[in-house]
Amino acid sequence: MTSQYIALPKGVSEETFDAAIHDFRKVLGDASVLTSAEQLAPYIKTMMPVSDAEHTPSAALLATTVEQIQKIVAICNQYKVPIWMISTGKNLGYGSAAPAERGQVVLDLKRMNRILEVDKDLAFALVEPGVTYQQLYDHIKEHKLGLWLSMPAPSAIAGPVGNTLDRGVGYTPYGEQFLFACGMEVVLANGEVLRTGMGSMPNSNTWQVFKWGYGPYLDGIFTQSNYGIVTKFGFWLMPEPPAFKPFVIQYQHEEDIVEIVETIRPLRISGVIPNAVVIAHALYEAPVKAKRSDYVSGPGSIPDEAVYRIMKDHKLGIWNVYAALYGTQEQIDVNWSIVTQAFSQSGKAKILTEQEAADDPAFVYRAKLMRGDMTLTEFSLYNWRGGGGSMWFAPVSQARGSETLKQMALTKQILAKHGLDYSGEFIVGMRDMHHIVDVLYDKTDPEQTKAAYQCFDELLTEFSARGYGTYRVNTAFMDKVAETYGPVQRNVHKTLKKALDPNGILAPGKSGIR
Amino acid sequence: MKKTKLENWLFGFLFAVIFAAGNAWSAQDEINNSGFAWKDGAEIYAKVCAYCHEAQVGHEVQVGPQIRHRKLPITYIRTVVRNGNRAMPSFRSSEIDDESLEKLANFLSQK
Ligand SMILES: Cc1cc2nc3c(=O)[nH]c(=O)nc-3n(C[C@H](O)[C@H](O)[C@H](O)COP(=O)(O)OP(=O)(O)OC[C@H]3O[C@@H](n4cnc5c(N)ncnc54)[C@H](O)[C@@H]3O)c2cc1C
Repeated sequence: MTSQYIALPKGVSEETFDAAIHDFRKVLGDASVLTSAEQLAPYIKTMMPVSDAEHTPSAALLATTVEQIQKIVAICNQYKVPIWMISTGKNLGYGSAAPAERGQVVLDLKRMNRILEVDKDLAFALVEPGVTYQQLYDHIKEHKLGLWLSMPAPSAIAGPVGNTLDRGVGYTPYGEQFLFACGMEVVLANGEVLRTGMGSMPNSNTWQVFKWGYGPYLDGIFTQSNYGIVTKFGFWLMPEPPAFKPFVIQYQHEEDIVEIVETIRPLRISGVIPNAVVIAHALYEAPVKAKRSDYVSGPGSIPDEAVYRIMKDHKLGIWNVYAALYGTQEQIDVNWSIVTQAFSQSGKAKILTEQEAADDPAFVYRAKLMRGDMTLTEFSLYNWRGGGGSMWFAPVSQARGSETLKQMALTKQILAKHGLDYSGEFIVGMRDMHHIVDVLYDKTDPEQTKAAYQCFDELLTEFSARGYGTYRVNTAFMDKVAETYGPVQRNVHKTLKKALDPNGILAPGKSGIR
Repeated sequence: MKKTKLENWLFGFLFAVIFAAGNAWSAQDEINNSGFAWKDGAEIYAKVCAYCHEAQVGHEVQVGPQIRHRKLPITYIRTVVRNGNRAMPSFRSSEIDDESLEKLANFLSQK
């Protein structure tokens, strides 16, 4: 007998699943319960080097209200059917909209997309999960609220709830998204609705202005986790500054990362440079301007000599430091002289501003990201190898020059061993760096796909052996990364899971938690 | 085993209580505006497709191929949007509903 479903949840019979689907339809209506191969196709495409079959969902549910979600979790508990939550569902390079395990039902909250509040004076927003950055951007413009967004590079099509829940990063002074989160509403596995922080108190008006509430702070346990379904999310927005000055500083040698980081760190910690600075390698920026095939053909990673030619032809440094100053013109003038003095000392840095770089496509899109304007230009990364394969390798580094050089060299060496290029950047927190490397490969080429898998596995093994932890990872490698953080943390995660979701219905496998 | 069963029973019981009592917040949920909906094909093109499929103001980069004025068949557009294609992500009906996708396809083939 062939199944009427394209996949089934682990350990759930077709008969039981049928009964669950029947009940889901009663809650949501037929049109919002998707089960056919055609309807589910968009949930299947991922950029990971594993078979799509491993992450094929059994169904997708399009819920729009808290009450529907409460009923859905009741049904899931009854039939032991697991759901995988997505908000805007654009977790590209981390698993996209596909579930962690075959057969999970995707709970797609994209249509739950109301902007509930944007407070101009207190500069905060409260939104539902399906709100995109584009939607919020348009709302702010339309109502002339004078607030800026901090968003990841897929800006327009992604959203603040999903991005922050996965602890993503943006590029303005509010770039470390979760630092600026303030108050969540969460549907728990038992159907209860928790409002975190001040939101727990009826009639409180401080939910979006004071993060901590009373007692243990809970918001953190709902990020990168499977302990609840976030249905409302508050966060702070940056008041539009009177003046904005983006700039790029270019260096010519890979070892110069040491000087860059040592120069940036004090400026970043003291707040002279307030935003999440990016130190991008030439190969991260090159796809905006150059074609790989114009410089190299055949298998293997791109040789340094070709990278130097790209730099020369397309006015790139081997390192390109994108940062910006924000404030009144007077503040910017003072800080600009501090920045230029610091970077001029060794004579190695080339400093460019809008005056010199206004026509440079890499500079233009970076400047947009640093002021929260919509752009998808960074998708040009996928033209580098072609074939739609991508995984973000994202180890954390100290903001210390010698450490960043070590991480870069190790990554590059392992990538080269597997014939892949180092498309890397460092996103500068105050004391940390997110070392972000796009492991790009041609997913239509089985050999390269296999190499990419092995390469990624080796990167995780080698980095963790040296004490370098990964901050976030795609769904194919979540267990492996969870292992690297040791048994005690895993146990605590598991204990919480058992307490909050004893039937294991919420996103089993997320961050290796079941 | 017994304990687990009891826990499960308690869990179910809690549900009943929650639904009977409603929750403190449901009243507020009702008051707000309805969610977002696309106006027309031009809007979808401008706010999703054009970022990659059209050279952006201020610089010449275009990430993906031109898709306007090419008389691309509607079924082709639907297939690529729903399935994605290599670098191009897939878009779900929750993001661009079937009716809006139809409007988008018409917009793309307009002169
Ligand atoms: C070219 C390119 C550049 C990128 N640059 C960046 C970047 O600069 N910074 C960055 O952070 N990322 C980046 N990404 C990765 C990714 O696309 C973004 O992080 C994106 O914001 C995530 O998708 P989303 O916002 O739609 O979240 P979703 O896909 O909706 O959610 C992400 C995850 O959060 C959890 N989740 C979502 N909603 C809920 C909920 N309601 N309740 C409980 N759990 C939930 C789920 O585990 C889900 O998988 C980039 C990707 C590409 C392709």
